[in-house]
Amino acid sequence: MFNTYEGLKQWRKDTIRSVADDHFQLNAFHDQLMYQTVTIAMDKIEREQGNPPAPFAFFVMGSAGRFEQSVWSDQDHGIVFDGNENVQHYFLNLGEEVSRGLAVVGYEWCEGQVMASNPMWCRSTVSFQAQNSDWLDEASWQSLRNFSILFDSRVLYGKEELLERVKHEAFSRLEKHPSLYARLVDNFEFIKKGVGVFGQLLPDQRQGMKGDIHLKETAYFPYVNALRILALRSGTTAAPTISRFEALKDTYPFIVEYEKDFRHLLDFRLRFRQGAENYEKVHLLPIDHLSKEEKLELKYLIKRGKQLFAKSKSIVRKELKL
Amino acid sequence: MDATFLMNNLWIVVCTVLVLLMQGGFILLEAGSTRMKNAGHIAGKTVFTVGIVSLVFWAVGYGLIYGEGNAFIGFSNFFYGDATTMGEGLAGSVDFMFQLAFAAIAMTIAFGGFAERAKLIGYVIFAILFSIVIYPVIAHWIWGGGWLGEHGKQDFAGSTVVHLTGAAAALAATMILKPRIGKYNKDGSSNEIAGHNQVFTALGVLLLWVGWFGFNAGSTFGVEDAFFGYVALNTQLAAGAGAIGAMLMVWAVTGKADVPTTLNGALAGLVAITASCAFVEPWAAVIIGLVGGAFVFFSMRFFDKRKIDDPIFALSVHGTVGIWGTLSNGLFATPELATVGRPGLFYGGGFEQLGVQLLGVVACGLYAFIVSWIILKVMDKAMGGLRVTEEEEIMGLDISEHGGYGYPENLTRPESKSGA
Repeated sequence: MFNTYEGLKQWRKDTIRSVADDHFQLNAFHDQLMYQTVTIAMDKIEREQGNPPAPFAFFVMGSAGRFEQSVWSDQDHGIVFDGNENVQHYFLNLGEEVSRGLAVVGYEWCEGQVMASNPMWCRSTVSFQAQNSDWLDEASWQSLRNFSILFDSRVLYGKEELLERVKHEAFSRLEKHPSLYARLVDNFEFIKKGVGVFGQLLPDQRQGMKGDIHLKETAYFPYVNALRILALRSGTTAAPTISRFEALKDTYPFIVEYEKDFRHLLDFRLRFRQGAENYEKVHLLPIDHLSKEEKLELKYLIKRGKQLFAKSKSIVRKELKL
Repeated sequence: MDATFLMNNLWIVVCTVLVLLMQGGFILLEAGSTRMKNAGHIAGKTVFTVGIVSLVFWAVGYGLIYGEGNAFIGFSNFFYGDATTMGEGLAGSVDFMFQLAFAAIAMTIAFGGFAERAKLIGYVIFAILFSIVIYPVIAHWIWGGGWLGEHGKQDFAGSTVVHLTGAAAALAATMILKPRIGKYNKDGSSNEIAGHNQVFTALGVLLLWVGWFGFNAGSTFGVEDAFFGYVALNTQLAAGAGAIGAMLMVWAVTGKADVPTTLNGALAGLVAITASCAFVEPWAAVIIGLVGGAFVFFSMRFFDKRKIDDPIFALSVHGTVGIWGTLSNGLFATPELATVGRPGLFYGGGFEQLGVQLLGVVACGLYAFIVSWIILKVMDKAMGGLRVTEEEEIMGLDISEHGGYGYPENLTRPESKSGA
């Protein structure tokens, strides 16, 4: 047990290398770190403000929600509570404390403010459900992005059932308005090009990334986005992409052959990025560090991700008769 | 060699350069009227599609317009390379270059309907097809000895051939592409997506205005009698009247002298007088310009209300006003100046010329719209969408299609956040 964030930071520093080449060990370790951080934060808030005024759940989103963090990750989390809005300030304080703690332990602040310290991501179940409805009604690019962020979530601490309730409410709304599935597909249609017309890898041109392949945008997102759309379509609440592969293989048998590619991609990422020095660098893969075989491997994984997304898209459209 | 021959050819080469320079006007106009994140794209695609049009026009376009053929299409002189000269009129290559510059203008107008949301590859394919199956057909009908020219249709410099054709294609494009993200609200009301630089837009208009002297006055094809001066005079009056007409109208209706509308008014005056600049008297040029300027304001509102998102107002400036300009011949063409066709209604010519003009507008507008629609629909299906993805539209075409911003210091690329 750890009593301070600094203690956790040290534990992270001492341990992360030993788990960095195994996807499951690494993510289980991240979960432990984040869980311990929340526990410390919870103790502090309880000491200062008393017991929680309502049942609640602290959940993680983004790559943490999907159990897909690399060695470095930023913070994406929220709190859902089962009470009325006048208890929100307690949980906002908790959210702020957790965010502060996670920053000390080694998780960067989320630039997009997807943190439980932000009232947008710290709400009652009823309020989250209403917000989901607003997002889906609005159906703009940003509102659907927010909805998808919330959907890739997993409870780390507290009552799982609260988040489940929020997700199930969203499913029934989607079922009533099936055209929203098509809008969600549109929302993720953009795939950063990774392979050029001559079959060459296309490195990033952005400043600070020149000569690097942005693994997350180029290779990884198509798999994640494809499985998210299928999970929404079939009412599957699990957030990790691998769990989604498992849960959806009977409904969508075509995905089975892509699961090994995705697992391979997760390993590929760790193989090259375990030495990355920060969050910004963790997604960047310098092309000239790759051997010829590794380049071929990467191109194949990129191609398969694009294929998976295209197939998922066409299946959803066919189901909706678009 | 005959001095008049040389001067004629020199004049037309000068005009060719002026018309080509109008592309610079379009770059500034279109970039200024749209958002910063698409500015580099607009500049680059304009230059690049002029390149495509040039090659296609050389390979087949010129031959389809002016080659030996029938009332509907020409069919010879492909891969143009005639170095001989007749010693009179224009050298073939001079005429070719002048015509090429016009074809490129029609293309750029059509691409106004693509603004801020079409895939770059869509520009490439449509530039090729437009330059083969749309523009040359209409140009042949009116200028290449086709059935509308035989009918006596008056379109001196191309209100129909260039402007209406381009605008009809832009209309098909903007309808198929659908409005830009954020243009219309759920309740149907529209939002103004302001252009990022009115000064650019104004400079674009001025560059077009100057280039238009090549366009209109150059359409005399020679210097005899210095008639080009008269054409230039009418052009100048109509452009000025257009700016005034549009500004007065927008001010009268909204209480504010909106700058983009005023600038579009000047262009409207130019488009309107393009068909009639050699056939009407100066007072008529003023009326034609004023009405064009007023029309452009109402036309902009008309399309906006119908949820047809026309980012740079190509439909109104070149389409609505292109129609008005063509029809205005049927009203104002004088007996002395109507070297083609008949005088207009106000000069005792009755409705005959107006009817001919109307037929031309309907036939050309419909042809350009329908063929563009079919081509773009097929492209839309075959390419998995003519439009970029929402994410690319939001980040801007500079970065999504070209990998760098037109204003790199002012914009930073948004990180793609898929799942937080």
